Amino acid sequence: MMTEADYYALFEAYAHGELAGPARANLEARLAADPALALRYADFTEMTGTLRAYGQRQQARQQLRGIHAAMLAADAPEEITPTETKLTHSVNPMLRISRTERRLREFWSGHRATVGVAASVAILAVFATLLGLDLWRSYKTEPSLYGYQALRREMAKLQRSQRALKESILTQGPLPTPAVNNGKFSGTGFALTSEGYLVTSYHVIQGADSLLIEGRDRQRYHAEPVYSDIKHDLAILRITDKKFAGFGRLPYAIKSGQADLGERVFTLGYPREDVVYGEGALSARSGFEGDTAFYQVSIPVNPGNSGGPLLDERGNLIGVVSGRQNDAQSAAFATKSSYLVRLVDSLAAAKPAAAYPYHLPHYGQLAGSGRPQQLKKLQDYVFVVKVFE
Amino acid sequence: MSRGNSSSLTPTDDALIAAIRSGDERALAHLYRLHWPMVSHFVLQNSGLEDDAQDVYQEGVMVFYEKVRDGSLELSCQIKTYLYAVCRRLWLKRLTSKSRFGVRLLDDEEHGPYLNTGAEDDLLAAEEQDRRFATMSEALNHLGEPCRSLLEGFYLLDKSMQDLTAEFGYTNADNAKNQKYKCLVRLKKLFFAHYKEEPI
Repeated sequence: MMTEADYYALFEAYAHGELAGPARANLEARLAADPALALRYADFTEMTGTLRAYGQRQQARQQLRGIHAAMLAADAPEEITPTETKLTHSVNPMLRISRTERRLREFWSGHRATVGVAASVAILAVFATLLGLDLWRSYKTEPSLYGYQALRREMAKLQRSQRALKESILTQGPLPTPAVNNGKFSGTGFALTSEGYLVTSYHVIQGADSLLIEGRDRQRYHAEPVYSDIKHDLAILRITDKKFAGFGRLPYAIKSGQADLGERVFTLGYPREDVVYGEGALSARSGFEGDTAFYQVSIPVNPGNSGGPLLDERGNLIGVVSGRQNDAQSAAFATKSSYLVRLVDSLAAAKPAAAYPYHLPHYGQLAGSGRPQQLKKLQDYVFVVKVFE
Repeated sequence: MSRGNSSSLTPTDDALIAAIRSGDERALAHLYRLHWPMVSHFVLQNSGLEDDAQDVYQEGVMVFYEKVRDGSLELSCQIKTYLYAVCRRLWLKRLTSKSRFGVRLLDDEEHGPYLNTGAEDDLLAAEEQDRRFATMSEALNHLGEPCRSLLEGFYLLDKSMQDLTAEFGYTNADNAKNQKYKCLVRLKKLFFAHYKEEPI
């Protein structure tokens, strides 16, 4: 009886072709006839085949490792290869890298893209939020500059055209007179000197092509800006009409010092066609957002009041109405008259012997009289400033 | 996808395959050196290390090499593309086994259609082969001395029976042979016991 080992000897001899003719034929016949033997043979071949293939694989692996090492060795002297140093992203030839640093480098090289994307998303989000908030806020408060409203009046176009239409209907037959161009904006102005200088707010005449001054008696003069102080919202105009003969003696004096808190003050202005009186008190000695060039007064003012004179009880000019705060109750602002005086002084100093000297009124005539008398004298020196663009 | 469709193979590819099949080690070294930068770059770009790249690449070249040696290689594209596909597949497998999340690979554009290179099938076969080898290695480890050394010497290291006789101190070659057969019988039991019971 043959043991399995004996069979293996036989199989091996057979596989190597070492069996003699008859023995070979005999074995082949038995393999064909005996399934158990055939299975045993199949197992044998599979096992030896696997063993040999395994050997080959190990050899090949060894070979590849050799090739890789040879490749690295060949590359190494030429340049500092990444394969050599295991640094994948450093160009500097570093002598030694700590484990932590290596980890960090590996992390960085692995997650560079993700980190980049995350960072850009974060930055985008931050800026989008900031910009969005800013836009939203400015959209909400668009009509004014953060709650501040300059008070020049925009003429109602509709009203004007309607009136022109009505006039043309009424007059019917004759050629309709061309509608009076009332100007785009209007504000208030008042006389500065008797020679024909006037004061108004800079924002009233801002962007003006031509200016028209209109008094209470419907007397109209052309005027031109002489000087503007944008920072303090002041503008000085001069009447250019030849027939203009001067204002005469001004009833108010211009105060060069500061007014006191709590003083009763009043103003005249043209927020509409007619002159309007407003009264209140000086509520603060600084203006919008702490601007010390302005007073805060508690006079109800409206668009059109800009450039109006602010006077104290004795009829001294203490300021020029400039604007109001939208989100506060009855908070109007007026440029301090001291800035006006300073402006005039500097102008006079620049042009000492000018054809139009500045003679500021130093003595008022309003002190002591009652308010209606004061206003009667005053209103001849307060004008509508119409602005054409 | 037949071997006849060799129009896409460059002449050097053909020559290389022929040389490798004939056992030319320099050809293999040349091939290895030629495509290493590509695979190394790919693996490094996809959060791998230098060592990973080397492992993956050697694995991939091994698949290619064994197919060439068998003569069973059916190449429908350039060797470069084939290797890229194999290595890509291998690295993807390793990454997915490491990571809990889905893995997306950054590919080099130039290697375009790597899916129909036949690499998938070849890799499946290679995996099966790997499993077989792993079982064999295990079986050999369990075999114990001197059987293991004897079989390794004969089959793996290709030593002659005479050398082994001398090395292991057998009185003659027939004794050694008999010993080898007995060892084979034991190995067979171990090998098939492990190999067959594992699910395929």
